[in-house]
Amino acid sequence: MGEPVIEVEDIVTRLGGALIHDGVNLRVQRGEVTALIGGSGTGKSVLLKEIIGLLKPQAGTIRLFGEDVWNASESGLMALRRRFGVLFQDGALFSSLNVEQNVALPLMEHTRLPPDECHELARLKIVLSGLPISAGLKMPSELSGGMRKRAALARALALDPELLFLDEPTSGLDPISARAFDRLIRLLSDSLGLTVFLVTHDLDTLLAMVDRIIVLAHGKVLGQGTVEDLRKIDDPWLRDYFSARYSEEHA
Amino acid sequence: MGMADPSLEVVKQAGQNVLRLSGHWTLAHLPSVAVLPSIPVGPLMVDGSDLTGLDPSGAHRLIAMLRQSGIRMENVQTRAMPSKAAQVWALVADRVRLTEGAESARPQGLLYQIGLGTAESWQHFMGVTNFIGRVVTEWLGLFRRPGAFRLKEFTAQMEGVFVYAIPIVFAMIFLLGVVFAYLLGVQAQKFGANIFVVDGVAAAILREISPVIVAILIAGRSGAAMTAQLGTMKVNEEIDALSVLGLSPYVVLVLPRILALLLAMPLLVFVGDVAGLLGGMLVANAQLGIEYSQFWDRLDSVLKMKTLLIGLGKAPVFAVFIGLIACRMGLTVSRDARSVGVNTTSTVVQSIVAVIVLNALFAVAFSDIGI
Repeated sequence: MGEPVIEVEDIVTRLGGALIHDGVNLRVQRGEVTALIGGSGTGKSVLLKEIIGLLKPQAGTIRLFGEDVWNASESGLMALRRRFGVLFQDGALFSSLNVEQNVALPLMEHTRLPPDECHELARLKIVLSGLPISAGLKMPSELSGGMRKRAALARALALDPELLFLDEPTSGLDPISARAFDRLIRLLSDSLGLTVFLVTHDLDTLLAMVDRIIVLAHGKVLGQGTVEDLRKIDDPWLRDYFSARYSEEHA
Repeated sequence: MGMADPSLEVVKQAGQNVLRLSGHWTLAHLPSVAVLPSIPVGPLMVDGSDLTGLDPSGAHRLIAMLRQSGIRMENVQTRAMPSKAAQVWALVADRVRLTEGAESARPQGLLYQIGLGTAESWQHFMGVTNFIGRVVTEWLGLFRRPGAFRLKEFTAQMEGVFVYAIPIVFAMIFLLGVVFAYLLGVQAQKFGANIFVVDGVAAAILREISPVIVAILIAGRSGAAMTAQLGTMKVNEEIDALSVLGLSPYVVLVLPRILALLLAMPLLVFVGDVAGLLGGMLVANAQLGIEYSQFWDRLDSVLKMKTLLIGLGKAPVFAVFIGLIACRMGLTVSRDARSVGVNTTSTVVQSIVAVIVLNALFAVAFSDIGI
């Protein structure tokens, strides 16, 4: 324990002339569930893209499992990518494949297991994600929003990653499905020992399942800690963010 | 790897069957083929004291092996597993039974296929009828409210469908004119009937080649673009948004497109006519020694107005079919990326088939009424 899985140091990002990040620093330890929050346009999703190696920052270093993402060799980056899974906001399921084929795809590409076992493992991931097994034969266009998220989670878990990135996991879900999804993530994180890093707006998610919150504002990390820690920070956006819930609970 | 490679052995300890696991039972270390040890059926103790890693894939492999050996999971106990591994084992053992009963889609029988085909054809027919009805109604509605017509969308479509298509249409029909005049010239020379090349080129280009080839070009170029654009708008829920804002997608999107095609197609066919005759003229001069002025005089005396008009008259009919097919396929895209591709392909195929079939019908009809 205590081993850092994600290390972000002095990240500077400019997009179309606008300064998005002005020296962002953060660390995530193994086994932790960490949430990144911040107002619209503070560059949360941009930071997530930089961490998973899709968008290059102008300056700074990002290390995953101690390896520099932006200076890794092609094969090094591929090896790194096998160790983490990403759940995209709208699922990003391949629309020409059914759910089971979507989940089996990374297994077929990246392991030497026979196709039958790949599909069996895909079915295991589908039920681990809380979908009925019959959902495996459905096409992504036939799924509801909540099922789509779960199918995408199953695909993110296909290669048994140590680290899971979630981009707004509960957006577009009704409160009941959202809480069920939170519980599922927490269960998987606890029983599989997953490190989870999520971008979210959902205050209930923060209260229900997150160990530590990192707040992004004005291009920097404004603060981090539990909900209680963050409530002590004097920032107008944070105050607004927590005020509704706080007055409700402490009335 | 060596040390980390997953392995297992079955031993008997104090009258109990024990499955000793060691090494990394994780996806990256799993051998590609499962080795099935002979495990006696009955109660089994799984010993994880030498286990260095276990992930869901590893646990799944082990549990699948046990089940294949006929061992019931109720009879399996674990001991000395690292706590993380024990949790993974418990989760997988608990959930793996839920993966049963999943059957791959079975190919359906002939009767099912015939039924499905019939139902789909009927739905397609009803869909087309409904679509044409909507387009005509909305069109008639425009006469009552001419202000609703989208002039800007129409001109934008005209620019795309007509203006930018001129170079390609000119080049293609010019080349066809060259080839046709050359091949005809080879035959005509044998009979010393060089000058009749003019008659042949004029009739073929104006009546058949230009209208059909232009229609096929436009089906591939503009028809495909319309389906892809409307389809992507459908996926993006933009079509729904238009309806909710009280705008008819037919008035805003479909009619300007069909109208643009209707106007652009005869114009493009005329461009093709000119290009094809020019090509023929060049070859007639180079290959057969027919002077440009000779070609022109002959053209003037043998080319009847009706030949030109037949060619130009077919164009709007082709245009309407291409427009209806392209817009309908665009609006019937379902909400995924694959469907956009399928429908775009379908637009091009349907349009080309329609153009060729219509052209054949025209040929038969014209010869029946003697023109």
